[in-house]
Amino acid sequence: MIQLSYLDYIAVEGKRFLHRFSPTLKIIGMVLVLLGIVTLRSLPGLLLLYGTLVALFFITRIPIKIFSLTFYPLIFAVLFIFISGFQIHFLLLIFLKVLCGSTGVVLLLATTPYPMIFSVLGRILPDSFVTALFLTYRSVFILLNILEETQHALYLRGGFQWRHPWRSLINISNAFGHLMIKGIDASEKMYESMLLRGFKNKIFYRGK
Amino acid sequence: MSHIHLPDGVLPVWLWVPGFIAAMLVAAVLFRFTKKEALSRRFPLLGMMAAAMVLGASVEVVPIAYHVNLTVISGILLGPSLIFLATFVVNVILALFGHGGITVIGLNTLILSIEGVFGYFLFHLFWQVSKRLILTTFIATFLALVFSTFAMIGVVSLGTSHYEELIHHEGEGIFEFHLLKDKGPHHEEETKKTEIHLGRFIAIVLPLGFIGWILEGVITALITRYIHRLRPDLLHLEKESQ
Repeated sequence: MIQLSYLDYIAVEGKRFLHRFSPTLKIIGMVLVLLGIVTLRSLPGLLLLYGTLVALFFITRIPIKIFSLTFYPLIFAVLFIFISGFQIHFLLLIFLKVLCGSTGVVLLLATTPYPMIFSVLGRILPDSFVTALFLTYRSVFILLNILEETQHALYLRGGFQWRHPWRSLINISNAFGHLMIKGIDASEKMYESMLLRGFKNKIFYRGK
Repeated sequence: MSHIHLPDGVLPVWLWVPGFIAAMLVAAVLFRFTKKEALSRRFPLLGMMAAAMVLGASVEVVPIAYHVNLTVISGILLGPSLIFLATFVVNVILALFGHGGITVIGLNTLILSIEGVFGYFLFHLFWQVSKRLILTTFIATFLALVFSTFAMIGVVSLGTSHYEELIHHEGEGIFEFHLLKDKGPHHEEETKKTEIHLGRFIAIVLPLGFIGWILEGVITALITRYIHRLRPDLLHLEKESQ
């Protein structure tokens, strides 16, 4: 999750050709990738799509550390392979579909700041929903700051130790509880300042 | 715990498209019938709880892909209508953050919101009966997770015919590529041998799920205890106690 702020930083500060593309175009590109994932059922076709996405990833010179994020959904796909009775073709098909989807999304996010994506989505989705997306995005960063402080406190109280599972569970739960209470307090302050700035159920984003 | 962690393109279109439509319809109805003033006042709280759920879902226990959802505690704090909207937002953000499954956002929202909505009602129901906070929260969370996991298994099993199609009809699709594939006479024999092992999937999901239900139940109960100590007003239990 800490990578979220790094991803956001790369998207905002990046100066490669994909960063300069319009967010609408990139979202249309992502929809086409999804269409490919849904319709393609042959390994060479999916390999071609994946190869194109990986090539774009490296041409754009997105840090290699971000590339590891694209493998993350494979953890979930592993569980699903039991359905097929370990059919190699099916496994490769699933893994390639997973990798195409995650590489496409990470490529989009590493070249387009979240608020820009939300503002494009705002043209087709209800205002209230987009406002909720914006506020959640903002809140993630607020909570990450609180989490950082909480981690220090948690570490001083013993943190997580496999030898003491019950105490560890209590520590983790207290940390989440603390995170929530602090977050709720912060949300109340956020609402007051939003009201002062004339918030009326809609957030306007002025892009670059 | 009960996300459908499936990649795009695995579930059939006739399953995920109605899932999307159903989730959109429920969200539209909830937006329509929730008072605008109340919604506007609770927007920051919705955002904050959704963010907490995103954070919880990002802390993964590898290799079994466990993470806490925090949906039940969020449901208790937000109420049944706002938790649906919060889960919708969480699923969109998680899909955008690389969890995958953009096409299953609708289905995931429906399944995950079962946890939040059932959790909320079960928590208040059991509280009226027992008045023991930790026990009430644990049972409510455990049962809510059981319901949503079975809902997930139900959705996955609905797509059985489609998985068979994916396994048996290699290379067929809207775009066909035959660069590597050479269908020989053995193909039909192989096709007969392959079958969908849904029972095996369930046999793996349920025991793993059981551990997850207990873990999430304990964590949610302890979080509720912590909140009750510091901010009991957030749980809205006073009226029911009187």
